[in-house]
Amino acid sequence: MTFNEFKELVIAECAAQGITEYELYYQAGASTSVDTFQHSINEFTSSYSGGLCFRAIVGGKMGYASTEDLSPEQAKALVAKAVDSASVLEAEEQVFLGEGGQEYEPLEDRSYPLPTTEELIAKVLDTTEKIYAADPAVIDGCQTQGIIETSEVAIYNSKGLDLHHSSNAAGLIVVGVVTNGQEMSNDYQIKLGKLDEIDVDKLVAKAVNGAKEKLGGDVAPTGQYPVVFSPEAMCSLLQVYSSIFNSESAQKGLSKLAGQEGQVIAAPCVTLVDDPFHKDNPEPINFDGEGSPTHKKNVIENGVLNTLLYNLKTAAVAGKKTTGNASKGGYDSPVGIRPFTMYLENGTMTEEELLAKAGNGVLINDLNGLHAGADAVSGDFSLQSAGYMIENGKKTTYVKSFTVAGNFYDLLKNIVALANNCELPMAMGMTTFGSPSVLVDGLSVAGK
Amino acid sequence: MISREVCQRVLHKAISTGADYAEIFAENTTNHAISMIASKVDSIRDTVIAGAAIRVYKGMRSVMASTVDTSEEGLLKCAESAAEALGQGTAAMDIVLKERLFGDIHPVKIAPTSCSNKEKVEVLKAGYFAAKDYDESVVQVSGNLLDVDHNILIANTEGTYAQDRQIRTRIAISAVADKGTGTQTGFFGPGRRMGMEMFDIIDPKNVGVVAAKQAVTMAGAGYCPAGVMPVAIESGFGGVIFHEACGHGLEASSVAYGQSVFAGKLGQKIANEKVTAIDDGTIPNAWGSINIDDEGTPAQRNVLIENGILKSYMIDKFNGRRMGMASTGNSRRQSYRYTPTSRMTNTYIAPGTDKNEDIISSIEYGLYAASMGGGSVNPVTGEFNFSVNEGYMIRDGKICEPVRGAALVGKGSEVIQNIDMVGTDLDMGQGMCGSSSGSVPTNVGQPLIRVSTITVGGR
Repeated sequence: MTFNEFKELVIAECAAQGITEYELYYQAGASTSVDTFQHSINEFTSSYSGGLCFRAIVGGKMGYASTEDLSPEQAKALVAKAVDSASVLEAEEQVFLGEGGQEYEPLEDRSYPLPTTEELIAKVLDTTEKIYAADPAVIDGCQTQGIIETSEVAIYNSKGLDLHHSSNAAGLIVVGVVTNGQEMSNDYQIKLGKLDEIDVDKLVAKAVNGAKEKLGGDVAPTGQYPVVFSPEAMCSLLQVYSSIFNSESAQKGLSKLAGQEGQVIAAPCVTLVDDPFHKDNPEPINFDGEGSPTHKKNVIENGVLNTLLYNLKTAAVAGKKTTGNASKGGYDSPVGIRPFTMYLENGTMTEEELLAKAGNGVLINDLNGLHAGADAVSGDFSLQSAGYMIENGKKTTYVKSFTVAGNFYDLLKNIVALANNCELPMAMGMTTFGSPSVLVDGLSVAGK
Repeated sequence: MISREVCQRVLHKAISTGADYAEIFAENTTNHAISMIASKVDSIRDTVIAGAAIRVYKGMRSVMASTVDTSEEGLLKCAESAAEALGQGTAAMDIVLKERLFGDIHPVKIAPTSCSNKEKVEVLKAGYFAAKDYDESVVQVSGNLLDVDHNILIANTEGTYAQDRQIRTRIAISAVADKGTGTQTGFFGPGRRMGMEMFDIIDPKNVGVVAAKQAVTMAGAGYCPAGVMPVAIESGFGGVIFHEACGHGLEASSVAYGQSVFAGKLGQKIANEKVTAIDDGTIPNAWGSINIDDEGTPAQRNVLIENGILKSYMIDKFNGRRMGMASTGNSRRQSYRYTPTSRMTNTYIAPGTDKNEDIISSIEYGLYAASMGGGSVNPVTGEFNFSVNEGYMIRDGKICEPVRGAALVGKGSEVIQNIDMVGTDLDMGQGMCGSSSGSVPTNVGQPLIRVSTITVGGR
C-alpha cells in the first residue's frame, strides 16, 4: 500500500474515532551499496525501507505510534495506540501541530543524475585499484564502498500542512590500510556528490596518507598545553556538544545555557552558525520536523549567545518563536530539536599562523570514543586523541594513545583564535558540522 | 510468518542466476519505549518493524536485497533483484526446507506486548522516584522502560526453516546531581531476555538508587589525575574492557579481511595466562542470548581465549567462507535492513582465583574503576578507549576518594597481556553494541580484575 492510500485509511479512522488534531509523518528511502575486498566486489546491498509515524492530540497530550507495515489493520491499530499513549502521558507543556499555509524559502535545485549500478560498480573497482597503486605500504583490508541513496519525507496534518521533500545522493567511502611490517593502521574518507566529479585521486591519497601517518609515532607527554583542534576533531566535539544549544535540554536542566541568551558564553572571536541551506550540505531542506520554515541563524555571535534552537513546544514555553529546528531522530521518534549545518565561522589566520601562535603545544586531528568520554550535561570530556606535537610553532612528531581533557563550556571561552580553513569534513545525512582549525588555551593531556 | 512453500519458491528465484546459497530473513518486531523526565511521563514510542531481506552468495560474493513487502509477490521481486545483481548464470539445486524446532532456552513468562502502558508506567515510576528522592543534590532524572518483541524467520537453501521470538525488557535510569561544582551523571540500565517477570529479580527502585548514588558520589568528586598507573576494574559492566580491547578484534568481520591485530594467531598466546574469555549466547535469559543467530545457526558457547591462548574467533557464515571455518552462531543484525555479520552475544572474562581484597591491596597507587561507561576500538590498530563513570583513587592498597572524568586508553593486544589478576566473582552488565550490522544487545562481564599498567586520562 502506498503512503497516500494508507493516509486515507488513517484519516477515515480518525473521523470514526472523533479525533480532530493529528499528523502523519512518512519517511522512506532506498539505498544501493557495493563494497570491495582485494580486487573484486565483496558485497552488494540494495534496500528499501519506509515508516510512518502517526501522532494525535488527545486530551491535551500528544500520543505517538509508528509502523512500517502499511496495512488496513495497522491503520486502526496506530490510532488506537496513539490514543492509549496520550492517556498515560503527564508532561504539562502545551503541544502543537504545525499550521498549514506558511511561506517557505525556495530550495535551490542541487540534484544530479544518480549513477547506474554498473557505473557504481565500475567506479568502486577503479577506486580500489587506485588505493593499491597509491603506495607500497598498502595491504589487503583496503575497501571502497560506493553508495546511492534516495530518500523522501512527507508531513500531512489536520491543520492543512501537506509537505513533501525528496533528495538523492551518491558517494564513495575509501578505507586505506597500510603496514610498516610491525604494525597496521587505517584511515577512511567519505565524499558525497556526482561520482564523475569526485576527485578520486585526492580521496585515495587522503586515506592512504592518513593511514601512513598513524604508523609508529610516540605517546604525547603528560601536561597542560595549548591545543589546536583540526577541522575534523573540532567537528567531533561540536557534534557531541550541539545538544547544549537545544532549548529542550536547557528547559530540562540538562544544559548550562538555560537563561544565558544575550550573555557572553564564548571568546569574542567565536561565531557559531546554523544554516539549513549551506552550500556544502548535501541535503538542504526548507521545512523542519514539524513543517515550520527553516532559516539561517547565528547561534553565537562574537561570543554572545544569540539564541538556542527551538521547536514549537519549547518556543511556547520560552515565550519565543520556533527557530525551525524541530527534528525527528528517526521517523518513529518524538519531535526533538537538532541543528542543520552547524559550523564555526572562519577566523583570519592561516593554519600555519595558528600553529605559530600556539608556539609549543599539541595539534589534535583525531578524537575517539566521544559517545562515552564526552558528557553533554556537565561539558566534561576526556578523549582518546592523536595528532602532532607543536614545537616552536611547527608541527613535529606524530603522537597517539593519549587523552585530552577539559570542559566544553570553558573551551568556548578559551578559544584564542580560529584559522580560515573551515571544512564540513563528514558532510552526510541531514545534520552536518563544520569548523576551521581552532586554537584553545590550556587543556590537559595525559600520555606518558 | 511466511510458509515453507512460499520460502521454497522465493529461494528458487534467488538462486536462479547461479548462487550457491540463498537465505530469507523476515521479521515482525514491536519496539516499545516509555520515557520520563522532570518527574512526568514525557513520551511513549511504539513502532512496528516489518520486512524481509534476501541474501545470495556465489563464492566470495554476497548480495543482499531488502523489502517492506513480505507478500509472495514482494518477496519474489526482492529475490529477483538479488539474483540479477549477482550476475548471469544458472543454478540447479534442490531446495527442501525442513522445519527446525529449537528448544526455547530463554522462556518468557509475561510478554510485555500483553501489558498495558499503565502497568509499565508504574514500574518505571518506582525506579524514577527512587532516584529523584535519593538526595537533594539530584537535580534531574530521566528514565526509560524499553521492551522488544522481535519475531524472526530464517529459511535457506541448506534446508533450514526456523523461527524464533526474542523478547527483551530493560529499565534505564539516568540521574544528574549537582553539589555546586558542576553536574555529574549516574546511570544504571539492567536488561534481560525476559518479559515483565524481569522485575521479580530486578527491583526498579534499586536501579534508581544505583544511578542516583553514582551521580551524587561523583558530584562531590575532584578530577582524576592523569598518568600511567595500575587499575582495578570492577565486575559487571567493567567487562567492556574485554569487549572493546579484544572482542571486536576477534569478530570474523575484521579477521576475515586481515583487519585485526588478532588475525592469523589461532593457537598463539595473545593474552596473560590469567585470561580465559568466553562468548556464550546460550546463557538462559541473559540480555545478549539467542536461541538461533540471524542465519539460523543455534547459539553456542565459544571459548575465545583459554589461559591466554587464542582458541576461537566469532564467525558468521559468509565471513566463515573466506576463513574456511564454520559459523560459531554469532551472526547478528539489528533488523532486516542490515546485512548480518559476526557479533558478540554475552562475552566475558571467566572467573579466576585472586581474592578481591588481594587485588585492591596489591595496588600502591592507582585507580579503582567501580563503574565503567562505554568505549570504542579501531580493530585494525587495536587502539581503544573507554570512560570511567565512577572511579576512586587507590593509595597504599586502600580505596580512597572518588574521582571524576577518568578515561582509559591503550592498545588491545597490550592490555590483555597486562590483565595479571582475575577475581572469583563473575557479574555481567548490559549494553547495546553498535557496528556495521546495526545496534544489537550484548552482555559484557568479568570478575574484578587488575590491569598492571594503563594510561589514565584525566587532568
